[in-house]
Amino acid sequence: MTQQINWKETLADGGQKAYIAEVKKRDALVGSFLEFDPPRGKMARPQAEVQTTEELAGIPFAIKDNIALRNFKLTCGSKMLAHFVSPYSATAVEKILAAGGIPVGKTNMDEFGMGSSTDTSALGTTSNPWDLTKVAGGSSGGSAAAVAAGLVPFALGTDTGGSVRQPANFCGVYGLKPTYGAVSRYGLVAYASSLETIGVVAREIPYLEKVFNTIRDQDEKDNTTADWRDFSDPKEGEVTKIGVLTGSLGLDPGVAEAYAQVRQELLALGYEIVEMQLPMLDYAVPAYYTIATAEASANLARFNGIRYGHRPVYSENPEELVQKSRDEGFGAEVKLRILLGTYVLRSGFQDQFYLRAQKIRTALVRDFDKVFSQVDGFLLPVFPTQAFSHGDGGLDPFQQKVADKFTTTANLTGLPALAIPTGVSGGLPTGVQFMAPAFCEDRLFGLARRLKSNLTLGEPPEFPALYAGQEGRS
Amino acid sequence: MDIAELYTTAELAQIKLEDSEVESLGGEVSQMVAYFKKMMEVSVDALEPTTHAFIKKNRLRPDTFHPSTLADDILEQSPDLEDRFICIPNVL
Repeated sequence: MTQQINWKETLADGGQKAYIAEVKKRDALVGSFLEFDPPRGKMARPQAEVQTTEELAGIPFAIKDNIALRNFKLTCGSKMLAHFVSPYSATAVEKILAAGGIPVGKTNMDEFGMGSSTDTSALGTTSNPWDLTKVAGGSSGGSAAAVAAGLVPFALGTDTGGSVRQPANFCGVYGLKPTYGAVSRYGLVAYASSLETIGVVAREIPYLEKVFNTIRDQDEKDNTTADWRDFSDPKEGEVTKIGVLTGSLGLDPGVAEAYAQVRQELLALGYEIVEMQLPMLDYAVPAYYTIATAEASANLARFNGIRYGHRPVYSENPEELVQKSRDEGFGAEVKLRILLGTYVLRSGFQDQFYLRAQKIRTALVRDFDKVFSQVDGFLLPVFPTQAFSHGDGGLDPFQQKVADKFTTTANLTGLPALAIPTGVSGGLPTGVQFMAPAFCEDRLFGLARRLKSNLTLGEPPEFPALYAGQEGRS
Repeated sequence: MDIAELYTTAELAQIKLEDSEVESLGGEVSQMVAYFKKMMEVSVDALEPTTHAFIKKNRLRPDTFHPSTLADDILEQSPDLEDRFICIPNVL
């Protein structure tokens, strides 16, 4: 790109051609989009009766491919839904449409959100804009990569166990997992219903905040939503004490360095630091995977070639039709998680696994009740490593799961968490995350804003910002 | 997990295990189940289960009629449609 463009002008009649050409050129390397079609996106209108605003007028954005956008595919990165076109849009999408945002396409993801690299997608490979030999993280890897590569200023993702925060962290952008119930899940293809939330990835804090404030709301189509305004506590200015997770965290050097640096910056900014430990932390991941796979095994039962999904060419009987559909439609990671979920819910094993996991969830909630009775915010790492390599040079699937220990806590407890970029180490982004009490997202934005002035974030060398008009990254 | 347990679980999950998958998938399932057993280290006797972070009781909506305009669009999703009927595959 030879000159910077204003996001509001990218899809105006004069700018659209150049924007599409530039995105296609960049995305041929990154692979963030599964479907990219701004002219079709411009036709999208909110179907429900919603209040319209100009909050995001003309701003292009991307949507993870497990969130419905009318007349676009909804593949979940799976062969199972490779040809499924959504007849309606998710509530969160409708709200952005009503605010004037323009969806330009659907982004790649780990199949059904199951993975930490986007490499389990059956439909494409996404690479990290900072280093194309590395993964973008996952499962919202396409959304994070699209934002980091400067293709869109923000994107929607989903976070079930860290799937917005970890890819945001790997790609050096902001990733918000809102409080459970703050954003409607209507139009999100269910994976683990009690854990997942729609979240936001953005390169700049103002977009993050604006988009969250646009999509959060009670929704009669999702009975687990709550009216955020009834519970939020805007005591941003009164945030003075930050809990910092300490102990043996097992972080790679670049991550550990960034973590220590943020702690120092917080002190320099005048925050009081309280060292804290989470007694249940080591049990969060086994409890998380027990609950998530159990819920997945039930939620994915609908993909059987009859109700939804890939239909085999030929089968002798209904049972064979279902089995063939699932055998041909699902990838190995999805099969693994369905098998695990079925196993932990089997009679005779339920108390041993599923019930115990739910009780550990209670213990973790209590850990955090204690944390937030003492401090206003909580600092912890996002992931023990920076972006790892594609394929055998990276982390194996089991290592990736164990590494979810810092992110799954927010999903098990329902609390909001924000991954923030802190800089670059060894050519790859570093970052940390903050958690806050339920519905206190404003505190997270405030912490991010204050820290930003003390950090040097940089941008991917091959993918400089396309746009002007936003506050620059220092 | 022994092979018989794996096959029983796969049958319940309506997943057909190819011979080539038994070893790799079976190994990964066993590895995860062994990892789940780490939860046995915690005493959970005094704890109630949490099924949901904030919602403690079921929420219901009023049982009222809402018109939907989605029916035709949803029917269009069917791979084989005759008028407003969905044709199912021949499995006889």
